[in-house]
Amino acid sequence: MSFTLLSGSGFWNPLLWLALLVFFALIGYIIYSRGNPSYKPNTDQVMPFLSGNVEPSKEKVQVKAGDIYWGFVEALKGYYKVLTAIHTGDMRDYILWYLGVGSIILFLLVGGA
Amino acid sequence: MTPETIFYSVAFPLLGVFLGLVYKGIDRRISARLTSRIGPPIRQPFWDVGKLLLKETIVPKNAIAWLFNAMPILAFASSLTLLLYIPFGVLKAPLEGYGDLVVILYLLTLQSLAMAIGGFASGSPFSSVGAQREMVLMMSYEMPLATVIVGFALIYRSFSLTTIASTPVWSIVSPLAAFGVLLLFVALLTVTPAELAKLPFDIAEAETEIAEGMLAEYSGRNLALFYLSDAVRGFAMAAIEVVLFFPFTLSSILGLSLTGFALYAVEALWFLLKVLIIYLLAVTLVRTSFGRFKIDQASRIFWVHVNLVALLGLALIWVGV
Repeated sequence: MSFTLLSGSGFWNPLLWLALLVFFALIGYIIYSRGNPSYKPNTDQVMPFLSGNVEPSKEKVQVKAGDIYWGFVEALKGYYKVLTAIHTGDMRDYILWYLGVGSIILFLLVGGA
Repeated sequence: MTPETIFYSVAFPLLGVFLGLVYKGIDRRISARLTSRIGPPIRQPFWDVGKLLLKETIVPKNAIAWLFNAMPILAFASSLTLLLYIPFGVLKAPLEGYGDLVVILYLLTLQSLAMAIGGFASGSPFSSVGAQREMVLMMSYEMPLATVIVGFALIYRSFSLTTIASTPVWSIVSPLAAFGVLLLFVALLTVTPAELAKLPFDIAEAETEIAEGMLAEYSGRNLALFYLSDAVRGFAMAAIEVVLFFPFTLSSILGLSLTGFALYAVEALWFLLKVLIIYLLAVTLVRTSFGRFKIDQASRIFWVHVNLVALLGLALIWVGV
């Protein structure tokens, strides 16, 4: 029985890939196990690197949900600037976007038929 | 599967680790020479791996230990599986018929994803910012990368890398489509340093700014595995570019009538030379010549400029095929 997935022009055998991934992970583990496992668990060595600053206590660190995405929002600020501008909160605008984009997709899919 | 296939499936990726480290050594040496330095010996990456294995492997207090330790192994294993689908000169890919170009696209992503997850699991703000940047970069360069693959699928009506490698693309397309292929090559060359986290797109690691980012908390054997997976991925990426754009064999160029071992030996060396040239062009020369972009600049470059180049290439292929 063939476990190869076929999509007409593409093909992939996930089980074979998975078997070899596990095999190479074992080789990786052998390399890993040959390394030096020691470190000093209860010293400053395990503190996070904060450019020499002292880590504040967990209770004093307040991370807002939005902060988790800071890196994405900052990196893609040009994209978000456009998105937030069209994110008006007015349901009529969203329906217009929905209809507009939907009609373009329909035109592309069946327009020439 | 034949025993021969199983042997190739194990031997090729392991050979890839060795070649990846050799290419890394050549890259460092040539980069040093380009900046008027002597540079390390070519075998330095091997020593680096040995040195890292001797160093302590620190697991930070805030890290999710199992995830933090598992990701380097996953990155290493996934980068090795990448080599299973790439033909090596005149030799077919070890898993020919079991995976295509789309699988390669996903496997390239998997290694970056493992590094990003490892970064998030580190429990360090530097690593977290680095991981976020890596994911933004991935979102930015995936589109042009996918466009290149679609372009080849349009030409060959197949995603099989062996089918693509069997006939050089330049010999089967019209001049207009050939220009489109050239644009796809430019787009892929631009994506390469980002895919390999090299300058000017090493924003996720930016040593001087976020102290190696995702890798800030990694050390010892964990860092050694990331180092090895990086070396393999560098070799694999250059090999993919050779297979897609320059699959010409030396025998066909010089009209040689080699057979047996001589054919495989000559073509293997020819393939390695082509990979080296692409590696030096796309990685060494670029990383030595440019400074680092900011993450928003890099995103804009891929989303706007490189995307436009790739889409224009795709349109020309569509019209010209």
